[in-house]
Amino acid sequence: MDAVSALVVIAALIAFAMVLGLVLRARSVRVVAGCGGDEHLLTVEGADVTLVQLSSPVCSACVAMRRVATDLVAADPTVAHREIDVVDEPEVARRHSVYSTPTTLVLDRQGHVRSRLIGAVKAADVRAAVDAARVVLVRA
Amino acid sequence: MTGTTPTERDSGDARVGIDPRGPRFGAAITSVLLLVVVLLGLIEPLGVDLLARATQPSALLLTALVVLFAWGAFAGIRKHPYGVIFRRFVAGRLAPPTEREDAAPPTFAQLVGLIVTATGLVLHLFGVGGALVIAASAAFVAAFLNAAFAFCLGCQLYVVLVRMGFLRRSAARA
Repeated sequence: MDAVSALVVIAALIAFAMVLGLVLRARSVRVVAGCGGDEHLLTVEGADVTLVQLSSPVCSACVAMRRVATDLVAADPTVAHREIDVVDEPEVARRHSVYSTPTTLVLDRQGHVRSRLIGAVKAADVRAAVDAARVVLVRA
Repeated sequence: MTGTTPTERDSGDARVGIDPRGPRFGAAITSVLLLVVVLLGLIEPLGVDLLARATQPSALLLTALVVLFAWGAFAGIRKHPYGVIFRRFVAGRLAPPTEREDAAPPTFAQLVGLIVTATGLVLHLFGVGGALVIAASAAFVAAFLNAAFAFCLGCQLYVVLVRMGFLRRSAARA
């Protein structure tokens, strides 16, 4: 290949990586509401809302999410937080379309999955998801 | 500037964690070098025999990068030469880190980089055309995302490996 074509390929490669980075960044932290599913085995006894954080040991955002959740639990005893290595619960990851860590399932008192927090979500957004999960679900 | 020296601030204590900007600094250097590999690989014709393929400039540079990835993956990200350069010449010029992170995620990323580049290099040595360019391009994308967007490879790849069944409890704990 001549040098000019090679440089065009290089430019295309950089552009591709740039676009991929912007897309990944836009999608890496988000809250998905109304997921459904029953994970009552994962709830913490007595808590109004349980945050089940699916983590991996090689994930830096998991540490940030743990910090946010721990602070929230310290301030509010009706909320519980537990962290699970996805390798220990691969079926949970499969049931709830978990493709990245941390993904935190917000469980209400009955163990229904009310929302999923993907990535290191901001404290205010975690709080909003927790409050939404306190509202009793009316089943048709 | 605080009263501590850069070396004291970023000595990489396991409990304190590392400055997350260190691995990103290294990834920036790596991504530029990988682009040079891609460029050379595109321009150079594939060597006619093993010796020619092993000694063509693109393969020599990629070999150096494979060694650097292995260094980071097995000695740990803290002992990587880029980390040493960062602590000695860069960290002191920056404000102290606002947060610290565990060394495991960037070390895992080094291992992934090692697997990708070493596979490309071996295939290249066996005469597979395009293997070197494709492997270097893939590694470039990962390194660039890390440097420019603080992309965390371990956050994504680990779950995918678990879901595909490549990573199981016993294997992960071993």
